[in-house]
Amino acid sequence: MSSRDTNVSRRRFLGAAGGAAVTVGLAGCSDDGGDGSDGSDGSDGSDGSDGSDGSDGSDGDDDTSLLRYGRGSHSSTLDFQNSTSGEVAKVTEQIYDTLINFEPGESTLTDGLASDYSIEGETASLTLKEGVTFHNGEEFTAQDFVATYRRFVDSEYEHYAGDDYVSAYGPFTLGNWIDEIQVDGDYELTIQLTQTYAPFLRNLAMFAASVHSEAAIEEYGTDLSENAVGTGPFELDTLDDSNEQIRLIAYDDYWGDGPEVDEAVFVTVGENSTRAQSLASGELDIIDGIGAQSSQQVDGADGAELVRTEGINIGYMAFNIAAVEEFQDRRVRQAVSHAINTEAIVNQLYSGFATQASQPLPPNVMGHNDDIDPYPYDPEEAQSLLEEAGYGDGFSFELATFQNPRGYNPSPIQTAETVASNLGEIGIEVEINQQSFSPFLEYTAQGRHDACFLGWYTDNADPDNFAYVLLHPQVDEGELTEDQDWVSFDAEGYNTSNRSAWANQEYMDLVEQGQQTTDESERASLYNEAMQVAHDEAPWVYLDYAEELRGVADRVNGFQIAAIGGPFLNLVSLE
Amino acid sequence: MFPKRFVLKRLLLLVPVLIGVATLVFSILHLSPGDPALTIAGERASQEFVERIRADLGLNDPIWVQYVDFLGNVVRFDFGESYVINRNTTVREIMANTLPVTLELALYGQLFGILFGIPLGVLSAVKQDTLTDHTTRVGALAGISVPIFWSGPLLILLFAQVLGVLPTSGRISSTFSVSPIRVTGMVTIDTLLAGEWDMFKSAVRHMLLPSLVIGVYSMALISRMMRSSMLEVVRQDYMRTARAKGQGAKITVLKHGFRNALIPVVTIIGIQFGGLLGGAVLTETVFAIGGIGTLLVEAIEVGDYPIVQGTVLTFAFLFTLVNLVVDITYSYLDPRIQQ
Repeated sequence: MSSRDTNVSRRRFLGAAGGAAVTVGLAGCSDDGGDGSDGSDGSDGSDGSDGSDGSDGSDGDDDTSLLRYGRGSHSSTLDFQNSTSGEVAKVTEQIYDTLINFEPGESTLTDGLASDYSIEGETASLTLKEGVTFHNGEEFTAQDFVATYRRFVDSEYEHYAGDDYVSAYGPFTLGNWIDEIQVDGDYELTIQLTQTYAPFLRNLAMFAASVHSEAAIEEYGTDLSENAVGTGPFELDTLDDSNEQIRLIAYDDYWGDGPEVDEAVFVTVGENSTRAQSLASGELDIIDGIGAQSSQQVDGADGAELVRTEGINIGYMAFNIAAVEEFQDRRVRQAVSHAINTEAIVNQLYSGFATQASQPLPPNVMGHNDDIDPYPYDPEEAQSLLEEAGYGDGFSFELATFQNPRGYNPSPIQTAETVASNLGEIGIEVEINQQSFSPFLEYTAQGRHDACFLGWYTDNADPDNFAYVLLHPQVDEGELTEDQDWVSFDAEGYNTSNRSAWANQEYMDLVEQGQQTTDESERASLYNEAMQVAHDEAPWVYLDYAEELRGVADRVNGFQIAAIGGPFLNLVSLE
Repeated sequence: MFPKRFVLKRLLLLVPVLIGVATLVFSILHLSPGDPALTIAGERASQEFVERIRADLGLNDPIWVQYVDFLGNVVRFDFGESYVINRNTTVREIMANTLPVTLELALYGQLFGILFGIPLGVLSAVKQDTLTDHTTRVGALAGISVPIFWSGPLLILLFAQVLGVLPTSGRISSTFSVSPIRVTGMVTIDTLLAGEWDMFKSAVRHMLLPSLVIGVYSMALISRMMRSSMLEVVRQDYMRTARAKGQGAKITVLKHGFRNALIPVVTIIGIQFGGLLGGAVLTETVFAIGGIGTLLVEAIEVGDYPIVQGTVLTFAFLFTLVNLVVDITYSYLDPRIQQ
């Protein structure tokens, strides 16, 4: 009986399945036709062509102005103390404020939550604005800054976010430099530093130094990401990880300029070309993270334009002076610098979206020495320098590189191949060692490379953020050897961000003074001098300063492209 | 009769398979270069900061301790917290957001494949060696051969740029906020459940191109399988008998032939589903749909071990599960399999 039952039901099943498949298949065909007729009635077509797709959103308020910002990666966290990611910063800059801001589109400082600020010796003094409110309606006071600071770096604090939670910006930006914060009333802050540290005010303008609400800290602990409470121009509406969208709504009581739109949404489109297409078809208003190819797409699109500005970054090739004996001779480093055709790299490989570098500091940072030109491409000069140094017959070294494009080096492998080919002409053999970024960072931080590519996007547009962070060894004097301008990667406390192991006393003195000089013009001349040393000594081959590129739809007004501190969506309006 | 013993045996077989996959993933990740602590800390971190993170994560423990911990957690479906992509959030939570996205895409792809693959296969077999047959077969071959990273952008160019009738990317227009109506995480279903027709329409329009791209491969395979299976069945004795009894050709093919020819196709559909999950990785990237495939690729790039482990194991689990269901269905359809 059971076997018969099975048979019957199996037949039924097959019959039903077959019937269903055929029926649905036919329905699918007719549906297809139906779709076609739908399309021809014009409603769908017009939706698509204006691309907004929003005209089919009848339940959405048509008067609502929505600004759509497209980028390559989603940021799952919106807590600026939990990440060093630039993607996180793009969103938190809209929700939160810092005490001091970057001028839109500039690297100069302007007031943020603090109306007055100054630094003298080891003391920074700030007067805060009155009448600023958080999105929860509470008034912003000095206590909010103190609570925010303590949540970030003070393990004694009841609401400290935890070692496994806070980002490296905690110590890097604030913790290492702040000794004590004194509060006088609700609006006066005095910050005692551990040493005279001129870049400090700029650190306060970094996204990681934004201000949480004390009440929110106490209420939400480490769940602030989904419960973001800031004083910024936009409030968090939804953080949608499934659709990789972050929706913000205008904060009406914002103390500063704008916002000019009702809502802003951050949309993630991973592929550069798809993102550019979305801009061209009107589905996005502003896009970033554009490579050379997609910039052409944007450039050629109707209804959108490519906006570009100088970036605050550098791409370079570091010599590991400690590891390769030949590199210990300055003339060899200069020879290599002369032999690499950086002009061709920048114009051809990077499609002209970068300029040749001449020194560690990019042009828009205080202390950049305008009198220094990039090393000219001159293989003959290179050859004679090599001969002078006793390496006329050449030598060989390994060049470590990451594989995937980065802003300051959009074609790492081709760049490495160009370097290898250029150096081959003067008898230097280059073996390219390519790795993915994470292992590459570990490999080079341990000083296992002979030479490597790397680069840097500034944190705070201060010269110290390049000159000290990337080329100062930061070791005790005892670790240094006289008449030797390099130090081992194994030295106690060695700053591994200095991938060249360079330890030039004159340079170190200059950048240390620069760090401790608050007078701007005096600082600028110290860094001018340091740049000359860095250029002449050539611990790096200075490759390029990459431009910042954005695609902006024509209906967008007031967008100010910014290499730091942005995007300033509060200034943007829509036609 | 439900084949209990058979199912139990197959379920037990799942265990060593999953342990094997878990061990493999764990070994590959721990053998590959890259220090997770350094990855988490970032370029700005001091050595001391990195050390603190390493200790926190238990990375200083002997490898076998880490392995035992890992297996213990896997049993509880606990893959720990993400290192980089979404720090301090459990992998389970992250996957709860991304898995439905991929499943939705795979389901529609599969649906597309079945809806078009089966009728095309039947058509091709019935009209063997005619122009229709040749066209369908060449079409199927092309469907299998064309890579998603090529067909995707091309379709976007055609439908979104040139014709302007469909959106380029995403799952729903950015005008809409779907978070408040989230139930299953599958946006077409959630919008339907909430009765939000405009949102539903937008979601369907966004789903069309990705399901087409991912479904074409599946359709091609199904139609080829359907065709050959159908041709085989048509030559069977019982078909001849049916015809001899005076039954019309159409009825013979649909009633007797089609039903029996469907059996091997069901197997293909099941196996195909695993392939669709893999294909979803590419499709998601091209169409900017942030599913579990995109998550996995990103996690591998940035060295987010817990997410890599979680997603690979979930993929393996789903794949084996779907195969199990196929086997059970198959054994139900053809009891000889159980022996």
